[in-house]
Amino acid sequence: MTQVAIIGVGQTDYRRSHPDKSSRDLIWEASKLALEDARMDIGDMDVILAGVAPDALAGEGSVERTAMMGTGQPFLRVNTGGVTGSSTAFAGITWIRSGRAKRALVVCVERMGQASTSQSVFNTIFDPVYEKDFPLTTITMAALRASMLMRLYGYTDRHWAEIAARSFRNARRNPHAHLKLDLTPEDVLASPLLSWPIHRAEACPMSEGACAMVLSAADLVGDRTAAWVQGAASTSDSYAMGDRIHRPEGALVDLLSLRLSAQKAYGQAGITNPVKELRVVELYSAFSSAEAMAYPALGLCRAEDGPRFVEAQFTDASLPAINPSGGPQGANPVSATAMVRIAECALQVRGVAGEHQVADVERAVATGQGGATQFSTVCVLGSSPGP
Amino acid sequence: MTLHAPRVFIEGIALEISWADRHRSLSELIFDTTRRAIDDAGHGLAGIDSVVLAAHDLVDGRSLSSMVTGPPAGAYLRDEIRYGDDGAGAFAAAVTRIEAGESERSIVAAWGRASEHNVDAVSRVLFDPFFGRPFGLEELHVSAMRAQAWKRGAANGGDPVPASAARLAAVARNPRALRFGGSRSNASYPLAPEHLPLWADVVAAVVISGKPNGVRLAGLGQGSEPYWIGDRHLLELGALRRAAKLALAEAGCRVEDIDVFELDGMTLYDEGLSMEAIGIAKTGEGLRALAQDARCNPSGGSAAGYCAPAMGLTRIVEAVLQLRGDAGANQVPRARRALASGSSLVAAQTQTVVVLESA
Repeated sequence: MTQVAIIGVGQTDYRRSHPDKSSRDLIWEASKLALEDARMDIGDMDVILAGVAPDALAGEGSVERTAMMGTGQPFLRVNTGGVTGSSTAFAGITWIRSGRAKRALVVCVERMGQASTSQSVFNTIFDPVYEKDFPLTTITMAALRASMLMRLYGYTDRHWAEIAARSFRNARRNPHAHLKLDLTPEDVLASPLLSWPIHRAEACPMSEGACAMVLSAADLVGDRTAAWVQGAASTSDSYAMGDRIHRPEGALVDLLSLRLSAQKAYGQAGITNPVKELRVVELYSAFSSAEAMAYPALGLCRAEDGPRFVEAQFTDASLPAINPSGGPQGANPVSATAMVRIAECALQVRGVAGEHQVADVERAVATGQGGATQFSTVCVLGSSPGP
Repeated sequence: MTLHAPRVFIEGIALEISWADRHRSLSELIFDTTRRAIDDAGHGLAGIDSVVLAAHDLVDGRSLSSMVTGPPAGAYLRDEIRYGDDGAGAFAAAVTRIEAGESERSIVAAWGRASEHNVDAVSRVLFDPFFGRPFGLEELHVSAMRAQAWKRGAANGGDPVPASAARLAAVARNPRALRFGGSRSNASYPLAPEHLPLWADVVAAVVISGKPNGVRLAGLGQGSEPYWIGDRHLLELGALRRAAKLALAEAGCRVEDIDVFELDGMTLYDEGLSMEAIGIAKTGEGLRALAQDARCNPSGGSAAGYCAPAMGLTRIVEAVLQLRGDAGANQVPRARRALASGSSLVAAQTQTVVVLESA
């Protein structure tokens, strides 16, 4: 299989809104930065893949199309909810592996600042007859999971607050982050309750911005510092959350689709002990409790050891660094967030992450989660092509 | 780019065009058609490891609609991706999965249910909120502008009557065409009602693999144009021209070697212009080709039932039926090689072309 590398990364700053920039401005800004990082031109790209989801957040039906300038290349739009960013990156990887492209530009943009409220839009992802009236939203569905984690595995609200405070601390070193708050766990617990047990400071912000990457086949990488795609896998689960609670493969919070994706991606990358072999983990965790939910699925700990794993992160430097960018709590441009996770891992393995660079990163893993944890992606990047 | 030698085969196909079926939800329509494609392939669901979808939230009427529409298309615990793009584009993406060695066998499914959404309202949202929407601009208006521009350059003003008559006769022969129901938008000059697409509920599905089978993908090409209508040459259809050139080159054949054309266009004029763009008709003679050449859109095109983003995959299914000899009363004799296209928003800004051959 053709080896694929990330050779360029571009990100706009993430903000609550960018009133001074059109959607195409954001796409162009991120794309231009990625192309400059790759020392390439838009004309060098064989395919362009763009991601936007859901359309209703932007109130525009074709925001990605507006940025097309007529270079003539194949152009497709990916739309897979929260995993749109990683799905778009994976599609670019596939295009190159197929031999139909040598270089791909992948770009995702989010304009949710144009939505009146994101939660009223997210309510429309649920069943109009049986679910919408509850009202089920991304916050309440995360709260259901957080309370399940507390009941099953002994997490407390202190764990969620510790994770949130760490993420905000990390975000202060990320120049693109939207929220750079200096909060203690006590501050987090003192913030307003959104839906028990989730406090406002444990939730992601609404962010606008764009992220782009230039992908290349191995023979065109040249002397560029590359982040190599060692593993990439995606799994889709059943729609109804009720169908995922009592099945033999695991409960709702065991994230079967993420576990299957991790097993596949780790297998491609030759990873057998993720705690030892991964230095950085960038998780699509829109809530601090969602981060803990992902640990067992990624093989970082057993489900029942999750609370102790949270505590150990603050004392054991040998554990992988989790969300050194601040993760989605630092910025959550929904369409782009899963790509941002991959982009941040790429910066880490290339050693160009700046102030939030983690030392000696040879391997990093990025996740994507979407559709009420129905869709999961796992991407393993390395400083070498891998097996 | 070096030219490819594709090694992808179409194992199973299914297509259903209906209208406002009160007894089936969208999920059930998707399940029924995908199931028929899997049955047609004959290998069951177990061997399928990839699902590539083409669908739009705005068409499906709910945000992140693939949450509920993915499972009936076979996505459960599989590697699924949804393109908010035309079905032929999703087909191309599925082809890359097979060629990359990531997938052994993939479902491709595309759908749109015009009976449950306001097609014109969705179309208006596609245009720029400052410079397009205030005019009430819709994709059909762009088609009307193309038709006007074309008529100015065509001999005798390009009489559409014979082409329209041939198209409706083709629809009458097509056993898959919508027989009852459907709706049409208002026609803008110079379009007449019979030139318009017949809005319908359309679901198309195919199963592809790398294992030799009845119909082989011989060539694949894609192209794109600028967003702004003013930046495009309305009659050139540059994206389609580029896509067709690439697909034919990959297939190693000329357009004259093709036995059947199934080209996606919203209106009669769009279909005629598409015939010109791929080179089977000279400039100004696209409608004449539709009227006189039995190889051109034997399905009846957009008059047989239309709803984005299913139409590129619908054209592919029609082309496969022709190559199998299973098209029914609209069968083109001795069809061995077919060319199908799919266009996507906004107003055919992106295009995918495939050349298919009997294996």
